[in-house]
Order: sequence, then structure tokens, then C-alpha cells
Amino acid sequence: MLKASTTERSPDVRRPMMVSRGWVQAAALVILFGFAVLGFLAFRTYETGPPIADRVVSQDGKALFRGDDVIKGQKLFLKNGLMEYGSVLGHGAYLGPDFTADYLHRAALSVTRQYGGAASSTAQAKVIEDFKTNRYDEATKTLTYTAAQAVAFEELVTYYGNYFGPTSGEKGMRPDAITDPTQIRQLTSFFAWTAWSGSTLRPDKNYSYTNSWPPEPLVDNKPTANVMVWSVLSLIALLAGIGALFAAFGRWGERFGWKGRQADTISFRPPGDVVLTPAQRACAYYFLVVGLLFFIQVMVGAASEHYRADISSFFGFDLASWLPYNLVRTWHVQLSIFWTATSFLAAGIFLAPMITGREPRRQHWLAYILLGALALVVFGSMIGEALDIHGVLPDVLGAFGMQGWEYLDLGRFWQVLLTVGLFIWVIILFRGLRGRLRVESRGNMPWMFFYTALAIPAFYAVGLLTSSDDSFTIADFWRFMVVHLWVEDFLEIFTTVLVAYIFVMLGVVRERVALTVIFLDIILYSAGGVIGTMHHLYFSGSAAETMALGAFFSAMEVIPLTFLTVEAWSFLQLGARQESKSATPFPHRWAVMFLVSVGFWNFLGAGIFGFLVNLPIVSYYEIGTALTANHAHAAMMGVYGMLAMGLALFCLRYLIPTERWSDKLAKISFWSANIGLAWMSFATLLPLGILQLYASVNDGYFAARQLEFITNPTNSVFEWMRLPGDLVFIIGGVLPFLWLCWLGVRYRVGGSRDQLDEILFTEITEREPVEVGDR
Amino acid sequence: MALHPEALIVGGYAVILLVVAAALDWLAQHSQQRSERFRTAGFSYLPQHDAWTCSEDAMLWPMEYDELHHLVRYRAKASVCNSCLVKPSCTSSANGREVTRAVAPWPHSEAGRFHRGISMVLVGCAAVLQLVAAARHLEPSTLVLGLPMLFTIWLGIRYSAHFRAAPANFPEPTPATGLRVTQTSRTRWGSDAWEGK
Ligand code: HEM
Ligand SMILES: [Fe+2]
Repeated sequence: MLKASTTERSPDVRRPMMVSRGWVQAAALVILFGFAVLGFLAFRTYETGPPIADRVVSQDGKALFRGDDVIKGQKLFLKNGLMEYGSVLGHGAYLGPDFTADYLHRAALSVTRQYGGAASSTAQAKVIEDFKTNRYDEATKTLTYTAAQAVAFEELVTYYGNYFGPTSGEKGMRPDAITDPTQIRQLTSFFAWTAWSGSTLRPDKNYSYTNSWPPEPLVDNKPTANVMVWSVLSLIALLAGIGALFAAFGRWGERFGWKGRQADTISFRPPGDVVLTPAQRACAYYFLVVGLLFFIQVMVGAASEHYRADISSFFGFDLASWLPYNLVRTWHVQLSIFWTATSFLAAGIFLAPMITGREPRRQHWLAYILLGALALVVFGSMIGEALDIHGVLPDVLGAFGMQGWEYLDLGRFWQVLLTVGLFIWVIILFRGLRGRLRVESRGNMPWMFFYTALAIPAFYAVGLLTSSDDSFTIADFWRFMVVHLWVEDFLEIFTTVLVAYIFVMLGVVRERVALTVIFLDIILYSAGGVIGTMHHLYFSGSAAETMALGAFFSAMEVIPLTFLTVEAWSFLQLGARQESKSATPFPHRWAVMFLVSVGFWNFLGAGIFGFLVNLPIVSYYEIGTALTANHAHAAMMGVYGMLAMGLALFCLRYLIPTERWSDKLAKISFWSANIGLAWMSFATLLPLGILQLYASVNDGYFAARQLEFITNPTNSVFEWMRLPGDLVFIIGGVLPFLWLCWLGVRYRVGGSRDQLDEILFTEITEREPVEVGDR
Repeated sequence: MALHPEALIVGGYAVILLVVAAALDWLAQHSQQRSERFRTAGFSYLPQHDAWTCSEDAMLWPMEYDELHHLVRYRAKASVCNSCLVKPSCTSSANGREVTRAVAPWPHSEAGRFHRGISMVLVGCAAVLQLVAAARHLEPSTLVLGLPMLFTIWLGIRYSAHFRAAPANFPEPTPATGLRVTQTSRTRWGSDAWEGK
């Protein structure tokens, strides 16, 4: 166990692995298989994505726009933060329309009118013919629009000129957001290209480049056979998988290591007795940053919510000219990643010396450098985003401004700096763990801690492949390598490792059980999670097999999330089961309760709400609606937010002197954050999502994404229903937490040294046996 | 006098919420039981004897009622355990293996209270939604909301009654010293009310 390392070993003798090699082999196999398939799909995406024609001309030969314009339009779309206002191909924000569906619908209406209107007997067939026929000539890289489509294009240039110009302010964007006619034309070209990909049949196929998304009756876009078949198959796979897993566990579960061992009788070291290292003390500042960013995140979140409930006035104040919706939404989304990640980074730095038992010299210098870099990235990127969305950032400074891909909004410069920072963090961990890594088998917990930490920057770095010079289809593929693989695979695993380690340190479980749980998690999460990335790319222009494999494997993801989550859910409850007779009080009551809530939200937010939007047939109508927001909030805040809070409380318990610590504030924060989140989900996001899905199937996706629908009276009632929950969350959840973070800095425990007694408890041997008589 | 669609939507959704609340509560209870498995896997409880048997067929008898945690502690004979081959994977205690069983009804623990609390939020949410809908459409037809409302109130009372009755089962902090385990959690070897039952 942990104590083993306190007895010095000679460096060459590693402690043998605590579990069978089979676990490592199985985990490696699953991950390799996953990435091999992903590699193949990446290749196919380059091969089969919708082409961008060099020239688009109308049938009479008039030039309409060039391929260049499409890419420039895409860049304008991103730079102006429009992906944080509305979406294209279903990806982006949900206040504005989906511009793919918007263009397609309006263009189809225009063409219908030109062919004699809906009443005409032939118009409809001709419209469908116009939009479905693939007139792209591979040889000349020329795309031909019918005369009617060309007219529609010109009409829409005018329409979007008005949309992003004079009327943009009342829609929640910066007033007069884009006025340059060339830019409007480029933007429209970009929308036109996505709409073309959405409606035009692939060569030799009877569905479009996007598996016939968006649903649009005017051009006869409806779910394809693939969409149906793979929905059904993935559902069957899920049910069969769950059944098989439960059966297997029923049969062999007890061999997996948790043999119902009795909780050891232990005595917790009172936090005041645990001497901290300099780097651990540095973490106090990290948590203050965490608290502050969390607070800012919910405040800008509240502002963006206000736009949905009441778009035109902010209590009589013209908010859009200062903080347009897309700016507050950008900040909201970016901060959600920043503050949770900062907490994980700090927790890693805090735990490393506890694992190793000592700290290399000047480790805290690195920690402070990293914190400085993080603060620079956070505030620098936020300022850059604001300048770009307000249109005042000169083009030469583009790398500091808005990159604009949702979740990767920060400018290139900041993105690179953040990647570097994350690698510095890994170096910090490596330095801190080195003493321990040397004496441990490479399959043991300290190494798992290190590997899973390394995966985080490695996959953040993959996001650098997302380039706005590539077609949307390709860029989006790489974007989801970060967005999805982070949260649904590597962070889940890192979470398990962190929690398992904390549990070992608190004497909740033995190391062997913890390691078994870690390997089981790696296998189960990665089996579905790696290829499951493709569930974001059903309709963004990748080949149909992307959808097939994505649906199938992401359904598999739900197996761990129902099974494992019930398992992890119960695992996470172990910490709260303080029923043994400890001689000293358990110091982490609320930290472990936060872990209990992580288990719950992982089940509900990720597992159930995630699956709710996961089947291709559901996603087809649902993508980019409130049901996604429901899942995103319940999963992101529920799992990683609660985890970040719990980790912070765990560390702060040692950073704040006992007499200054307040269990009461921690309790209020715990209950308020959970009640607030549950309320947000069930009072607003879920019912709105159901209504919007209904509208999407019934009246069409176009209608369901229009502002008129989103702000209709029934929806507004649900939007206002949020208010009490949001208040509870902010006032009861965030503020007390922020205060505790502040206490960590204000009263940070003094005195430090670089040798630690790593264990946070001591096992006590019970008094002399008292013989128990038989009955 | 047609029913306003909003009232219908809200009424239907309220019913969904109540069902979800009940389902979550049930699942939470289930997950809590599974978490007990981490401690008791391999042991089976024999209700008719109020005793457990372990995988090696030794018996564990009730020893103590822990008032603080609302559980019964069962113990095997020390002499049996100390000579048992699989002891290392079972317990480090020299006093014989101990197993506990919660006696208070669900949600008897802090984690249980959390889950129950979430279910209560859903019930509360259903109630508020219906009140808002009723207030927005003050017309006789809205009376149909009465039915789900009754159901809501019933579930609310049921859940909160348990909630009020079941303690958090966590050592309460005393003002002077922070957390401190109270006396009742001390083991009372042999001298317990359960002895000789
Ligand atoms: C803790 C784990 C998870 C987190 C933090 C998380 C977070 C998110 C977020 C933030 C989005 C929105 C992305 C966007 O707007 O483009 C999203 C979308 C999505 N998630 Fe998850 N998720 C998790 C687990 C899952 C699981 C387990 C599934 C199902 C198997 C799932 C299925 C989906 C799907 C299908 C979408 C796309 C919806 C759309 O684009 O409209 N997620 N998730
Ligand atoms: Fe995903």
C-alpha cells in the first residue's frame, strides 16, 4: 500500500503490478482498436467530405461566388462569433437560427415562388429536382446553380445584409454587426455551400453529403435509411450490451477484486496536522482563480439566458451594444472549461506530493509560472474575443482574437499557450511523482495517474488541427477530437484515477480495488467513447459509415454509463459511508458528498440525457436544440463542475486552518449547486427541449430554430421558470464556494516543508480482542 | 371551453416529472445497495436468524446497535477469523470480521438524503409549474390540473416525511472543536442491547 514507499527501495526494484497483466493488455487493445478505426474515419472524411467548388455559376454562365468566398465566409462567421450565436450544420449556439437550415428553407421558398408557388402542381417537384441534383463538375471544379437557385442566392444576399446589418441589434448581436457588402456576400456563400451539402445527393447515392440533414420537406430532405437502421441497431446493441455486462458481472463480478473487505478502522489525521509543501500552498491561489472564474461564468451565463427570456431589453438597458449575446455566450462556454480545468490542475499539483511523500525543490516556482500563464490565457483570450466580436481588432492581431470554433473559441496564440501550459503541468506532475514512479511497476496507480494526466494536453493539442482554412466538415472532425474525447473519455478516466487515489488516501478502498476500478473504467469508457466521437458528426458532411460507427459505439458508451455509473455511482458513495469507528472525525464530509453528486450526474446528465440525444434519428431532428443544452449543462456542470468543486473543497480543507474552515458554507454550497442544477434542467431545459423537438418534427427544423418559436409565450414561461433555480445556484452555490476559496488565500496555513507523511489516516489496530460468545 | 394547450403540456410534464422523481429515487436506493456490496460481497444475510454467513461459512452475529449511524454491527468469532486462510482479503482486525447493516429506512444516509433531495426538487418543480400554469389560465378547464397536483402533493408529503424523519447520519460538528465523533459511536463491546437477543 501507500506506506510501502516510505521504506526506501533501491531504484531498480520496482514494486510489482498490483493487478493482473491482462488488464493492461485489454485496455491497450481497446484503445488501439478505437484509434485505428478513428484514423480510418479521419481518412474517409478527407476523401468523402462535400467538395468546395472553385467557381459557382448560374446556368446562364453568370458567376455567383468562388470557393475562396466560402472559406472567407467561414472565417467571417467564426471571427464575428456567429458560431456562438447560431449554428451551421447543427453545430454552434442555439439562440440564432441554424444558418444551413435557414438558407436552405429560404432558398427553397424563393425557388418555389419562382416556379409558380406552392399551389402549382409542378413547382414542388421542380424545386426538389433543383436542390437534389448534383451539378458539381469534378473536372472543372465548377458548380452550376439553376437560374432559380441563382436568383434565390441573390435574394438571400440582400436578406442577410439586412439581418446582420440594420436589424442585428434587436436579435442579440452587436448592432450593425456586419455591413460590408462583400463580407455579406462571402458569408452568404458559406451558408449556401453548407445548404448545398445538405440537400444535394452524393454521386451514386440517394442521400445528401450530410445524410440528408437538415430535415426540410420543401426539398424532400427526410431521414435516410441509414439514419433509421443505425438508430435501431445501436439501440439493440445497447440493450444487448447492458444485458451481457450485467450477466457477466453477476457471474464473475466478485472476482474483480472487491471482495467485500471490511473498512479498516482508521484514525484520520486532522487537517491541521498535515503539513503542506510549498507547491501545495501555491494551490490556494489556483482555487481563488477557480472560484472567481466560476462566478464570472455564471454571471455571463445569466446574461446570455436573459437574451432567451427577453431578447430586446435588459431591464430597459441596451445590453446588446456592450455585451452582445454571442460575446457572453463565448465567455460562458470558455470559462466553463477554464475554471473546471484549473481545479483539476491544482488538484493534480496538490496530490502529487501526497503520493510521492516529498517534493522536489522549487516545484512551487513552476506552479506559480503555470498559474500566471493560465491567467494570461484566460483573461487575454477573453479580451481578444471581446475586441473581435466588437469588430475592433486589427487583422494582423487575429491570432489574439476570436478563433470562433465553439469550445475552441480562443485565439490561436492563446490556444498554443494553453497547450504549452498543460504540458508544463505534466512536467510539474512528473517532477513531483518521479520519486514514486521509479519504484513502481508501470501499471500501478502512480503511473496511471501520470498517463491519464498526459492524455489531457495530448488531446488538447489535437485541437490545433482545427483550422478555419479547411472545409467545415474537416475542421469539425478535429474539433470534436478535443470536445468529445476530453469529456467522454480522458477526463472521465482522469476523474476515476483522481477519485480512486483520494479514496485510497482516505482509507476508503485498498489500492488493488482502486486499480481494478481504474482499468475497468478505461476499458469500458474507451470501448464506446473513442469511436463514439462520431456521434457529433452524423450530419456534418462525413461519410455514412461515420454515422453508422458513431451511433453504434456511442450507444456502447451508455453501457458503462448505466452499468459503470451505477457501479461508479455506488463507488463514489463509498467515501460518504463513514460508518467505521474512526477515532477522529472524517474531515471531508462535503468533498465526498460532491463526489456522490458527480456519480449521480454522470448517470443522469451524461448517461440518460446524453443517450436521449444520441440516436441518429433523434439527433436528426434534435441537434442544436434545448435538449442538447439540457444534456450539456447536466453533464458538464454535473460531472466536471461538481468534481471541480469537490476537489477544491478537499484541498482547501488542508489549506484553510481548521478554526477558519466552515462546514456550513460547504454544505450550503453543495445543496444549492445541486438543487439549482436540477431545477435548471427539469424546470427549463428539459421541457423546452421536448417542446422544441416536437416542433421540429411537426413544423420542421427551420421553424423550431427561429426566434419566433424560441421566444413564444409558452417557451418564455419556461425560460422565466429558471430564475429561482439560477438564483439558488448563484447565491447559494457559487458565492459560498467563492468565499471558501478566498479563505484559502486569506488564511492560508503557514509553514511548509518538502517531506510529507503521505497518508491522511493511520490504521489503528483494535484493542485486544474481546472474545465474542456464541449465541 | 377548450383546455388551453399550455395547461395540458404542463399537466403532462408534471406527471413525467413525478415518474422521473420516483424512478431516480428507486435507482439511487439501488445504487446505494450496490455500494454496500463493496463491503459485503461474499456475505449473505439470513433474515430469519438475523445473522450473516461469510464465503467460508462462518457466522456473524449481531453485536451492537450503533445509534449514531443507525446500523447494526455483526461480528464473527475472532478465533475463527484469525485462523482463516482468506483473512488478508477480508479484514485487518484481530477481533473478527465485522459487517454492518443499515436499519433505518431509505434514505438513511447522507448520500441517500442527497438523492432524495433531488427527487424532491423534481416534485417541487412539478408543483410550481402547475401553479404557474393555473395562474396564467384562470379558467374552469384548468381544473384538470387538480389531478396531477394531488399526485404531486402526495409524493411531496411522502418524500419529505422520510426526509424529516431520517437523520443525516453524520457526526455533527460541535461549535468549539469542529467535527467530533460523539460518544455513541464508540464500540460497546458485548454490553449492547442486542446481546443475547
Ligand atoms: C460527462 C460526460 C459528458 C459531457 C461533459 C458532455 C458534454 C456535452 C456538451 C457540452 C455537448 C454540446 C456540444 C455542442 O454543443 O456541440 C454535448 C453534445 C452531445 N453529447 Fe455529450 N457529454 C457527455 C457525455 C455524453 C454521452 C455519454 C453521450 C451519449 C452516449 C453524449 C451524447 C452527446 C450527443 C449526441 C451530443 C450532440 C448533441 C448535438 O450536437 O445537438 N454525451 N455533450
Ligand atoms: Fe460526445
